[in-house]
Amino acid sequence: MKRHWVAKKTEIQENKQRIFQVQGLEIGLYCVEGRWFAWRNVCPHQGAPICKGRVCGTRLPSLVYQYEYGMEERILRCPWHGWEFDLTTGEHLVDSGTKLRGYEVVCEGEDLFVVFP
Amino acid sequence: MKDAPALIDTDVHNQIGPLLPYLPKAWHDRYRETGIPYGVQYYSSVGVNRKDAVTDQGGPPGSDPQFLIRDHLDRYGIDYTILTGSGVLGLSLDPDPDYANVLATACNDRMIETWLNVSPRFKGSIFINASDPAAAAAEIRRVASHPDMVQVLMASAARMPYGQRFYHPIYEAAEECGLPVAVHPGTEGKGISGPPTPSGYPTRYMEWHNILPTNYMTHVNSLVCEGVFEKFPNLKFVAIEGGISWLPHLMWRMDKNYKALRESTPWLKRLPSEYIKDHVRLTTQPIEEPANPEHLVQILHMIEAEKTIMFSSDYPHWDNDNPKMALPRMPKEMRQRILAGTASELYGLHTKPLSKDDDSGEQAEQIAAESKEAPGNAWGEEE
Repeated sequence: MKRHWVAKKTEIQENKQRIFQVQGLEIGLYCVEGRWFAWRNVCPHQGAPICKGRVCGTRLPSLVYQYEYGMEERILRCPWHGWEFDLTTGEHLVDSGTKLRGYEVVCEGEDLFVVFP
Repeated sequence: MKDAPALIDTDVHNQIGPLLPYLPKAWHDRYRETGIPYGVQYYSSVGVNRKDAVTDQGGPPGSDPQFLIRDHLDRYGIDYTILTGSGVLGLSLDPDPDYANVLATACNDRMIETWLNVSPRFKGSIFINASDPAAAAAEIRRVASHPDMVQVLMASAARMPYGQRFYHPIYEAAEECGLPVAVHPGTEGKGISGPPTPSGYPTRYMEWHNILPTNYMTHVNSLVCEGVFEKFPNLKFVAIEGGISWLPHLMWRMDKNYKALRESTPWLKRLPSEYIKDHVRLTTQPIEEPANPEHLVQILHMIEAEKTIMFSSDYPHWDNDNPKMALPRMPKEMRQRILAGTASELYGLHTKPLSKDDDSGEQAEQIAAESKEAPGNAWGEEE
């Protein structure tokens, strides 16, 4: 278990930068409802740089011809094929067995660290 | 089960016969002049009907119940056959919905009063004018209680993809009555339907016939994506004579796109292919004949043919399949399911007809004689 400094919180909250190089890996950092998540910048589908995708909401499961918007700012949508991942679990919305590779995030004051296994 | 049907033929064409006595007077002139529209458009030197299926009285193929029983059902040991009519599906494609509605009603009344009385082996299809869904739903509810009407049938040629909500009253009525909804090809590009392909009209009959399955892909795709099977969870859809080998491709493509675009159809709760396997049934004829028959068997495995595929002959049409020869070598259980198992469940035909006590008398002879008076014969057949 090794902890690596990644960024200051403010860097991310101002939305300037989400993708960081850590030990040669590209990691995307996301704050969702006050919790921090780090995901590797690789889509498990075909290797796209997923962290360049939009953070958004989606239409929730609904009745036919009804539209319920939800999970706002909780979806990471791949910039290639548009696969939707839940930023809090890393799971693909259609197939929960397809997951982003994630790392624990530790906050200390204004500093963010990721923990590599 | 010893008395379970061993062979059910899900597509046999019978001549409904002359409709005049079943039509309101207001439509008699038009029927005499025009019959049922939209049969012939593409010319084939082979013709639609088998030349050897002309009845022994010289009548059109499919016009004599006794001949049909001898020539087809008895020859192959067919326990039940689903009658799909002949040359009538074009009624949905007439610009005038009022004419189409009375034609559908007349066809159903005549089917009930004639063919369905002849043999317990005959099961009927409820013809509807799909272009007027409210009237179609009313027609379904009017005749669905007849015990020998086992499905709703409409032309696969349509003005719009069949999943769209315009058509939902049809599915609501069919589900309520416990009947599957089937489509049958042959009118693609005719009447008020769209052209047979998005790029317009193929030149010749063969080319038009080759590409009919793309329209089936359109409808299956639409039914799933519009959420028809979420809205009507007990509905079954039967794709008659539209081919089968395209299904793995469509299922895989739909599943792949669903993984990316599910938010555009948030009402879908499962992979599209799962809805297809649970709700869509395809019939075998014209069975694909690859150089290596094993390739077709591989496809049958891919689409869980034990529950999705039902045998059909398309008697008496030129491209009919022989139940004893058409299917490739396959596991015994799969063959049994295709020949009868799935159809017996879908149509509620759980035991063989009690006795093959067909009415060999006057009524069958009358049907054969009257068919020569039907103006519909001048307009050709579906496929």
